[in-house]
Amino acid sequence: MRETVRRAGRATAQLALAVGLTAFSFAFITVLEIAAIGTVAVLGIWLLPETVLLIRRIAGAKRSMTSAWTGQEIPEAYQPISGPLRDRLRTAVRDPGTLADLRWMAANYVYGLLGLLALPLWPAGLLADGIWCGLLRRRPVILPLVGRLADLDAAWSAALLRPSPKALLAKRVEQLTQTRAGAIAAHGAELRRIERDLHDGAQARLVSLSMRIGLAKRAYERDPQAGRRLLDEAQEHAEQALAELRHVVRGIHPPILTDRGLGGAVRALAASSGLDVTVQADDLDDGPRAPVAVESAAYFVVAEALTNASKHSGSAQAAVRLARTRTGLRVVVRDEGKGGATTPDGADAGGTGLPGMRRRVAALDGTFNVTSPAGGPTVIEAELPCAW
Amino acid sequence: MRVVIAEDNALLREGLVLLLTSAGHEVVAVAAAGPEILPALVKHRPDIAVLDVRMPPNFRDEGLRAALAARQQIPGLPVLVLSQYVEEAYAAELLGGGASGIGYLLKDRVGRVEEFLDALDRVAAGGTALDPEVVTELLTRRRSTPLDSLTPREREVLALMAEGHDNATIAATLVITERAVSKHIGNIFLKLGLPPTDIGHRRVLAVLAHLNNP
Repeated sequence: MRETVRRAGRATAQLALAVGLTAFSFAFITVLEIAAIGTVAVLGIWLLPETVLLIRRIAGAKRSMTSAWTGQEIPEAYQPISGPLRDRLRTAVRDPGTLADLRWMAANYVYGLLGLLALPLWPAGLLADGIWCGLLRRRPVILPLVGRLADLDAAWSAALLRPSPKALLAKRVEQLTQTRAGAIAAHGAELRRIERDLHDGAQARLVSLSMRIGLAKRAYERDPQAGRRLLDEAQEHAEQALAELRHVVRGIHPPILTDRGLGGAVRALAASSGLDVTVQADDLDDGPRAPVAVESAAYFVVAEALTNASKHSGSAQAAVRLARTRTGLRVVVRDEGKGGATTPDGADAGGTGLPGMRRRVAALDGTFNVTSPAGGPTVIEAELPCAW
Repeated sequence: MRVVIAEDNALLREGLVLLLTSAGHEVVAVAAAGPEILPALVKHRPDIAVLDVRMPPNFRDEGLRAALAARQQIPGLPVLVLSQYVEEAYAAELLGGGASGIGYLLKDRVGRVEEFLDALDRVAAGGTALDPEVVTELLTRRRSTPLDSLTPREREVLALMAEGHDNATIAATLVITERAVSKHIGNIFLKLGLPPTDIGHRRVLAVLAHLNNP
C-alpha cells in the first residue's frame, strides 16, 4: 500500500507540473494574441520571432518534463532564429516546428487539465484502496489510476512534440548547409595557405637559384672563384627549395598515409611523437580503406591530439584507438595528463588546435567530442562517417 | 662497382646513370617498376642496389619492400634507398635486419655529388649512411633522456656517428683531431650507458637502438 501511495504521489507531482504548464499557456495565449494583432498592425512585427522563441521554450519545458517521466528522450528540431529581422521572421513563420508547437499547444489546452482529475481520485483512492488493499489484502485499484493519468499525459505530449520527419529533415539541411559552408571556407583557406607557402618559399628560392646560375655563367671565365661561390649558393638554394616543397607536401597530404594506410601512418606518428603511445588499429589493417578525405582527417586529429598531449598534458603516455564502426571510422585519443583542454562549460581552452580539429571533422559531417576535466585525463573522440 | 638502379622517373634515372658512370661505376640494370627490382637484383648480383621508395604500379613503398625482400634473398646485399621524403619508421624497418650495408637518404643529397658517392662507397663496403634529417628527428624528439646530458659538441659527434661516418670523417667535418673524436665518443657511450663498441656499423646500430628505445 505504501508503495502504491508513493507511486501515486510521484505521478501527482508530474501531473501538477503539467497542469501548471497548461495554466501558464492559458496566460501565454494573451501574449500570443497581442503578438498576432501587433504583427498585423506592423507595430509589433519584431515581437513575432520572440513569441516563437517563447513557444519553443514552453514546448521544450514540456519535452524535458515528459522525458523525465518516460525516460525517453524527445528530440528537438528547430531552425535557428537569427540574423536580421527579415530572416528571423521568415524562419519563425516557415519553420515546421512552429506549426507543430502551436498544434501541441492547442491540444494541450484540452488534455493539459487531465491532471486535475487526480484531485478527486486521491480521497476516493485513499479510502477505497485503504479498505480494499489494507484490510482485504487485494491489489489497489484507484490510486494506480493517477499513474495512468500521468502516462496518458506523457504519451500524448510525446506524440505531439516529437518532430515530424519534415522538421528533422529541415534541421538536417540546416546543419549540412552550415558544415558545407565551413568546409568550403576551410578548403579556400587551405588553398591560399598552400599558394602562399609555394610563392614565398620554393618559388622565390628557385628564382634566386636561377639568378645565381646566370651570374655564375657570366663569371665563368672572368672570375672562376666567384663563379664557384655562386654555384655553391645556387645549390644551397636548390636544397632549401626542395626542403620547403617537402614541407608543403606533408601539409597537403602526408606521404606515409598513401604508402601505409591510416594504421601504418598512425603507428609511425606514435613512434615519433616522443610519447609512449599504444596504438590499437588492427581493425583497419585488412579490408577496404576509408576514403582519402576521411583518412586524412583522422590522421590530422591524431597528429594534433598527440602534439597537444606532448606539449600540454604533462603526461608521457597516450593511447590511440582506431576502429571501424557500422557507419564510419572512430578515432579515440586519450592521454593520462592533467586535463583542462576544455573549460568547465565545455568550451575549448586556448589555442587553435581543438577548433581546427572540430572544423576538420565537421566538414566531413562527423562528430567531435572532447572531455578534459581539470586533473585529467583528456579524451578526444571523433567519428567520421563513411561507407566501407 | 656494378650497380642496379630502380627509379621510375626518367629524368632522375638518366641523372643517376650519368652521375654513376661518370664516377667510374657500371650500371648493369635499370628497373622502372616495383616488380622488376627483385628479378634484376637476383640476376645481376650487383655490388650495390640504389632504390627509389615510391615506384609503379601502386606508387606506395614498393622500393622499400623490394629492398627488404632482396636482403632476405641475397643476405648482405648493400642497399641504398633514396626517397623524396624520409620517415623514421622506414629507417627502423631497413635497419631492423642489421645496419650493415644499408643506406637511407633523401634524393636531394644526390646533388652533393662527392658526399653522395662517399655514402655509396660506404654502404657498398658494408657501412651505413643515414640521412641527417632522420638522425635529427631521432635526436630531437625525446624529452628528458640521457641525451640531455650531452654537450653540444657531443651531440654533433653523435649525429655524425648515427649518419654512419667514421672517426676520420667526423674529425674532418668538425675540424677537430681524431683523438678528440675518440674522447667524445667514449663520453657519449658512457653517458648513454652503452657498452663500448668497436668502430663501424655495430657502433651505429648501438646508437640507433638506443635512440629507438626511450
